[in-house]
Amino acid sequence: MKVTNLIVYSLLLVVAIVFLMPIFYSLLTSFKTEQEIFSKIFTFFPHNPSSINYDYIFKRGTKYLTYYKNSIIITVVGVILTTILSSIGGYAFARLPFKGRESIIVFMLFIITFPLAVLLIPIYIMEIKLNIINTNIGLILPNVASLLPFTTFIMRGIFRSIPKELEDSAEIDGCSVFMTWFRVMLPLARNGIIITIIYSFYMIWGEYTLAVTLATEESAMPLSVALTLLRGEGWNYGVLGAVIVLASIPPIAIFLAFQKYLVSGITSGAIKA
Amino acid sequence: MNRNVFLSRERSKRIWGILFVLPSFTFIFLFMIYPLLHSFYLSFTRYNFVFDNAPKFIGLRGYVEAFKDTEFVLSIKNTIIFSIGFFIFLMVISLSIALMFFFKSRFSWFFRSSVFMPMVIPISFACILFSWIFNENFGLLNYFIGDVLNQPQWTHGWLTERNTAMGSMIIVTLWSSIGFQTILFLSGLQAISKDILEAATVDGATGWKKIVYIILPNLRETYVIAGIWGILRALKIFVQPMVLTGGGPGNATLSMYMHIYHTAFIYFDMGKAAIMAFILSIIILIFSILNIKLSTGQE
Repeated sequence: MKVTNLIVYSLLLVVAIVFLMPIFYSLLTSFKTEQEIFSKIFTFFPHNPSSINYDYIFKRGTKYLTYYKNSIIITVVGVILTTILSSIGGYAFARLPFKGRESIIVFMLFIITFPLAVLLIPIYIMEIKLNIINTNIGLILPNVASLLPFTTFIMRGIFRSIPKELEDSAEIDGCSVFMTWFRVMLPLARNGIIITIIYSFYMIWGEYTLAVTLATEESAMPLSVALTLLRGEGWNYGVLGAVIVLASIPPIAIFLAFQKYLVSGITSGAIKA
Repeated sequence: MNRNVFLSRERSKRIWGILFVLPSFTFIFLFMIYPLLHSFYLSFTRYNFVFDNAPKFIGLRGYVEAFKDTEFVLSIKNTIIFSIGFFIFLMVISLSIALMFFFKSRFSWFFRSSVFMPMVIPISFACILFSWIFNENFGLLNYFIGDVLNQPQWTHGWLTERNTAMGSMIIVTLWSSIGFQTILFLSGLQAISKDILEAATVDGATGWKKIVYIILPNLRETYVIAGIWGILRALKIFVQPMVLTGGGPGNATLSMYMHIYHTAFIYFDMGKAAIMAFILSIIILIFSILNIKLSTGQE
């Protein structure tokens, strides 16, 4: 019994170290100077910690700030749009009777089984013709579209689990359909909204495929694509480390803050599926 | 009087229903349905985006020609090799970790957070990170093997050598994917009714017997979901070869998705790219159906 404990916990420790190491090392390197990184002697912890890399990013490397700005705009607007649209759509699919309701939702889920590759070319052609290539909006729209089927499905599930009596009593109290949604159903669906926000945040913040196709000019690139450019640039690992740390702070912060929502969301999504 | 109110309420709901769904549907139509149909049409044409003014219809000939493209066939082979390797390790490791989490719960916050943490790093950032860690001269891995473990003969150019490139790519993808898969398995484990487990213990089943005879059969549904997710992740790899290896060395890690991208946006051969995209979709569909059949067919 004790032996199995020892083995299992040692294994878990090794796993934990392997999983955390890359980020941790990135963090450490971001505080190293260039001489230290490229010196003959390899160091793990910085010997003379300095914020030189971060200074570079904020003062002289203004293009990094452009990438960051793009990522933030695309993600924030995308998350807001996705959340609003799936909140109303999800409610409609759950509780409002309209023609073709069932078939549309099946159709939507069918559509997302196709890989994005099939859609990239027409979207690219369409955005060139509409002149929204290399713009933030040009990335926001397809991202939202690709997330909507799944998030609407989740919100639909959440709304369906709210007891009908609450809705009916709102109706008796004289609420219009919109008021019922806004005043009664929405607050009750808070969990689902948080899950949608978190899920869409992660999907858009790190989205690469659409971004690399639709943002070919540096000024329009979000972080996920821009970072890959760094490889050709004389490889300043310190700056790279710093950028990775800065780019990972939002997702990690949200993860730590909402950890229990994330896990329960995936769990309930898996069970309800 | 009451009937009138009821009827108009019904109508009001119907109208609001359509209103609420309309914006989402417009998005999905514009950016998913229309592109899908357009792509389907393009797959029957020859269309070079730079040189041709309009697509030229050539019918099914394109599909036949696609398979004569050696790079395309190679990309199919690469994708399948990667997928099988990745899938097996993913399932085994995730399930093992989930089982360990299920049975031993001390320090669970630390262990679980560390396993889930890579999930929140977008795959493109992870690839940049690992292309640095795997770097032959300055990377952490070679430092660890060469200096810490003192085996310099085991150091490699992980991403630049033919033998190790694919494996390295699998490792990066595993690092990124195990967290999510472990959550799926863990929730499946927690959904197994406690009574069954208790009954088994009472009947004298020891640890291993419990796992094999009680737990695994009950995980079948979880396995279907986890399996499909794993297959999709595997067959659709794009970011990893693009960022880690550029498809190299040579064409050793060129995936289908990446070849489609090159054909469309570097050679601008849109018709051919559309064809390959549809072939990829069909392969994904086949494997997904296979996975469902294999998991549920043995009842």
